[in-house]
Amino acid sequence: MVALDLAQNTLDGLMVGSSYALLAIGFTLIFGVMRRLNLAYGPTIMAGVYLGTAAFISLGAPILVVLAIVILGASLVGLYVERLCFRPFGEGARTASMVASFALWMQIEEAAMHLLPRHMNPFPALVASAPLEIGPLMLRADHLVMLAATLLIAGAATYLLARTKLGLAIRAVIDQPRAAAIVGIDVERVMMLTFVLASAIGGIAGFLIAATDAQVTAMIGMWATTKGLVAMMLGGLGSVKGAIAGGLLLGVLEAHAQWFLGPQVRDMVAWGLLFVLLAFWPGGLMGAKALDRTMAVGRRV
Amino acid sequence: MLDVQDIVTAYGKIEALKGVSLAVAEGRITCLLGPNGAGKTTLMYSIAGVLKPRRGTIRLGGVDITGQSPSAVVARGLALVPENRLVFPQMSVAENLEAGAYQRRDAAEVATDIERMYARFPRLKERHAQLAGTLSGGEQQMLAVARALMSRPRILLMDEPSLGLAPLIVEEIFRIVAELNKDGVTIFLVEQNVHMALKVAHHFYLMEQGRVTFSGEPGKLAEDEVIQRAYLGTSRQTSGDTTSSHKPG
Repeated sequence: MVALDLAQNTLDGLMVGSSYALLAIGFTLIFGVMRRLNLAYGPTIMAGVYLGTAAFISLGAPILVVLAIVILGASLVGLYVERLCFRPFGEGARTASMVASFALWMQIEEAAMHLLPRHMNPFPALVASAPLEIGPLMLRADHLVMLAATLLIAGAATYLLARTKLGLAIRAVIDQPRAAAIVGIDVERVMMLTFVLASAIGGIAGFLIAATDAQVTAMIGMWATTKGLVAMMLGGLGSVKGAIAGGLLLGVLEAHAQWFLGPQVRDMVAWGLLFVLLAFWPGGLMGAKALDRTMAVGRRV
Repeated sequence: MLDVQDIVTAYGKIEALKGVSLAVAEGRITCLLGPNGAGKTTLMYSIAGVLKPRRGTIRLGGVDITGQSPSAVVARGLALVPENRLVFPQMSVAENLEAGAYQRRDAAEVATDIERMYARFPRLKERHAQLAGTLSGGEQQMLAVARALMSRPRILLMDEPSLGLAPLIVEEIFRIVAELNKDGVTIFLVEQNVHMALKVAHHFYLMEQGRVTFSGEPGKLAEDEVIQRAYLGTSRQTSGDTTSSHKPG
């Protein structure tokens, strides 16, 4: 029943992919305003998740309290990364920011190992109910929650960007930072707020991922950086819609690869995809047009 | 209204402004002319707070604004139409105008001002939903001017608004400059188009190699000489003489 397998894989892939989409939304917002890569993005999320699970293990915190701690923790660590790796360097020193964010990655991992030295730690599970059956297909209830949360946050992010004053400022900074300063936008403040917001969104993604696994290791940091990066590149840099499409696509491709080629191949898909993308569509599958447009504008100026 | 005293601005070790002093009188059009690389744009960015001067003072309406952030300078009533227009290319014309009013809290008044801009620049109304990056150069320049006006500035700085535009559009830009001035906006204009600039200016400055080398009213210096110095600079002329003196015989 290859058709059924295909359908089930696609469904599973969409569910897992929705967490990738969330990761990519945060990643793309940071990349958009900073124009620099934040390698410490995943570790920031991991720090939030570790603080949450530490509260769960030692104090028995209920799941909503854990969620709040994860979001707050990721936001604060995000602020820390912004202050140390991005604020001090201008756009002229992109490499300095990237290397500094790598150093903080190591620092955050080290701190996490001191907080919870065991390799694997328990995390409160999202929903304990049995999988739903839709005809011949199976659907995990917690995956459904993950998908709903993704849609909710993507909708909120889109509303924020399109309809609010802060959103206008964020888009202005992404579009033309010097002009943003000239019209009176406090660019550094907008960058800081975007960074913290993106880290909080990443924190929610990390929470959902850890909660569907009901366990967490420090590897989630590197995992979140790579999945978020590939999903962001797939969708094209700097677009929320692209981030969602890229995340879902990556999830589906991975699910098929795992089923048909084996679990060892699963993670290779992400790397292979990143390679093919950079070689043939450096603008991303959906970003190519936007990139062309930006370049056309550049030529006119 | 705007008073610049002995400003030095440097990129690393290279001083682009070597002690510039000038004044822009309220209600007038003041022009700054000079060859490429004279430091005109550096001066504009130093006044607007984008670049931090190393020395000197800048006063706006009697208040020291030296080294303040661009957003603080906008709050004091200064708006800049930057070189190369710098519109927000991926945002619509209407959103560009909204961004220009970013610091204002009076939403209803902002909406009326946007309508006023559409009345003044009908092309912008036609294209209000279009992405600014898809506009022609002239339309982008109109948008950059309208965006700057959205902050309701007391003084408008314009950096080469005619750059790269067709003659008819240049005429229109200068007509708008004169109109705005008539409405009471003080204007400080950087230009390469000497002929047009001298036609509208009440007062002009010549800048060469980071220094102000002439200040006066149009007519005080023959237009030929202004053109000569504004395009080529006096130094270029001198070095030309030196070269010829090296010729054998």
